[in-house]
Amino acid sequence: MSEGPWSRFTGTKLRFELTKVERFIMSLGSAALVSTEGKPLGDVTVLDLSSRGRRYCGRLMAHLGATVVLPTGSSDDDRVSTLMASGEAVVPTRLDESTRAELLADVDVLITDAGPAALWSRGLHPSQLGGFPRLVHVSISPFGLTGPWADRPSTDLTLLAAGGLLALCGDADRPPVRPYGEQSAVAACVHAATATMIALLARDDDGVGQLVDVSVQEAVAHSIENAAQYYDCEGVVRQRRGAASAEAGSGLFECGDGYVYLLTSIGGVLLGWDRLVRWLVEDGVAGADRFEESQWSDPVFRMSEEAISTFVEIFGRYAKTRSKLDLYIRGQAEGVSIAPVSEPADLLANEQLSARSYFRAAHVDDGEILVPGSPFRIAVAAATGAEEAR
Amino acid sequence: MMSGPLEGIRVADFTWVGAGPFLTKPLADHGADVVKIESRTRLDPIRSARPFMDGVPGLNRSGYFSNRNSSKRSMCIDLKTPTGREVALKLIAQSDVVANNFTPGTMDRLGIGYEDARAVRPDIIYLEMPMQGVDGPYRDHRGYGLTIGAMAGFLGLAGWPDRPPTGTGTNYPDHVPNPLQAATAVLAALRHRRRTGLGSYIEVSQLESTINVLSEALVAHQLGEPGARRQGNVDRHLVPHGVFPCKGTDRWCAIAVETDGQWRELVRLLDAKALDDEFFSTAAGRRDNADLLDEKLARCTRGWDARTLADVLTGGGVAAAVVNDARDLVETDPQLAARQHWVSLEHPEMGASIYDAPPYRLSRTPGSLRSPAPLLGEHTREVCVELLGMPPDEYERLVDEGVLG
Repeated sequence: MSEGPWSRFTGTKLRFELTKVERFIMSLGSAALVSTEGKPLGDVTVLDLSSRGRRYCGRLMAHLGATVVLPTGSSDDDRVSTLMASGEAVVPTRLDESTRAELLADVDVLITDAGPAALWSRGLHPSQLGGFPRLVHVSISPFGLTGPWADRPSTDLTLLAAGGLLALCGDADRPPVRPYGEQSAVAACVHAATATMIALLARDDDGVGQLVDVSVQEAVAHSIENAAQYYDCEGVVRQRRGAASAEAGSGLFECGDGYVYLLTSIGGVLLGWDRLVRWLVEDGVAGADRFEESQWSDPVFRMSEEAISTFVEIFGRYAKTRSKLDLYIRGQAEGVSIAPVSEPADLLANEQLSARSYFRAAHVDDGEILVPGSPFRIAVAAATGAEEAR
Repeated sequence: MMSGPLEGIRVADFTWVGAGPFLTKPLADHGADVVKIESRTRLDPIRSARPFMDGVPGLNRSGYFSNRNSSKRSMCIDLKTPTGREVALKLIAQSDVVANNFTPGTMDRLGIGYEDARAVRPDIIYLEMPMQGVDGPYRDHRGYGLTIGAMAGFLGLAGWPDRPPTGTGTNYPDHVPNPLQAATAVLAALRHRRRTGLGSYIEVSQLESTINVLSEALVAHQLGEPGARRQGNVDRHLVPHGVFPCKGTDRWCAIAVETDGQWRELVRLLDAKALDDEFFSTAAGRRDNADLLDEKLARCTRGWDARTLADVLTGGGVAAAVVNDARDLVETDPQLAARQHWVSLEHPEMGASIYDAPPYRLSRTPGSLRSPAPLLGEHTREVCVELLGMPPDEYERLVDEGVLG
């Protein structure tokens, strides 16, 4: 936690234990590294006035060492969203008008998440912030600050719809269904974090800040894989088809205690089909020897209903006799890209995540829970032996 | 004229398939010189993945590949030869960033691992993004976006409670959390180097990076709060909250109501007597009768054009949007058109084809898509001769030997 002007704004804060980054550094096998996880933005302060899921941008800044000032007392400030927002150095702050002006004069980054009219009414529109020339204003608004829909009312669901991802989600015989966890906000925030860093680099050159105008709708449109290009290149409009197989050898399969996802091709390109066949034949799976026939390497055949249904019948029957962990370990041992469909409890018990000390403890009320650590681990190379010793 | 705010930064880009190229795209589109190192014998799989321009397959015709690789250069090196390794190290020596998304140990085996890179460029920023990290019992496991999404919990949490999970139908981790969180870390490390002169080693476990965007589910699960399970389009706070049928085949409008006032406005705007029911006048009533409400609302929306309905409802302050498919996004969405989201670039083999612009605009130092995706090996000679100072006859000899191409 950095000292200085922020300390007097400090309110109640959540307590976190440090991640075990030292073990990670050791694992690199290099003595010429010192741990500075969370430090690259140690000189940066962020005033995050965004709400709920859109606090993820500020959270990433916090993971990089920035001090993030969050207003407290807002109606959506429940335990879960506060934890979502929390990184390494978060300073919840009660914020009135005069405090805000004082903060804006000193912070490096301001994050807002409203459209232009709402920003204007709060005195936070870019044209009202000319008095803060060093400020990087990261505006994460539903449709961007320009255009005919800039002030349209919206939610996560409607932005997923407007950005085109929702059309790809769900079963063909039911309405589209949204992914978990305000992903429209996540998509916007990870782009916003990238853009914030570019703006800070530019400011380092000449000391001048700027507006970063992020559109949530555009961020969602950026996430639709190859759907826009499918239409542009081939005139094909991609449709939702759930997690069902689009090609033999890939898709969702029910197993003894849940589901696994298997992938042996992308866009007709084989990725480990031979290894899958070897696994199934070695394990004596009934009917698997048919997969050794040459037609199974032909993308046209593999995408046929005949091939898909044959594969589903043979592999599906086998999968139902095994647990998702058994299938995962066995398949990966053969080099096959297969994964269990995890539930939250599975992740908390995951051997790999545990071995890497991914989760860290957070104290909530009188209890302790595990929360994800940083999405990235950064080790700064030491310049000299003397610095290593420190 | 500056090509962008990252002009002067060079990236030796060993990434391939989905996630890695979307990490280096924003760097390239903001001015960095991103040199994509490719192999003619072990091609980036998405060069061979649909869609192909005009449906005609070809290594330089994939729209999947092109959109991820705007503003980059491509050079081909056989990294398994000693000379190929030397060329790669010469490029690394003149680069600020090395990025790869291979399985752990691959770069070390090729002789271009972190320590090799540091030997030729002590302040290098070196990024690895293996599926599950560089250590741990599952470090060697294989995966792609869809399997990472499954393992991270993303797939299992999306869908209907009475059906198998559906996810997004895409390799979502490849497009959103993993490339962009990695890009953020690289840029932070670049800034740190400017201030201290020190390079960095960055590790992004794609599994961990994906779980990070699902933190709320993990917290909710441990606090015993509802929500960490598949629940269709149900929302904790908003009701109605769903996707409703409209006129035409597979046309839908997403509608979300937050307040009683918005509900009254919706009923008025739809002129829907069937919805003007006391049961539905409060959020609690609407929640208790959600299935009936959804059914009645669906009957009301069925006769509406989806876009007209969204226009009318949003005009009344109710959140709504047509469920845009790719054709809508590219051809008719007025907001994306006004924001100039789609950029058409003239590609030597594909002709005019569309790319995503960055979903943000920097007011003072904006990015721009400077060139279409490179042809396979298009810039090998340019990089070797002009950047690395290789004599032209040596270049030709290495091409003949299959080391370069």
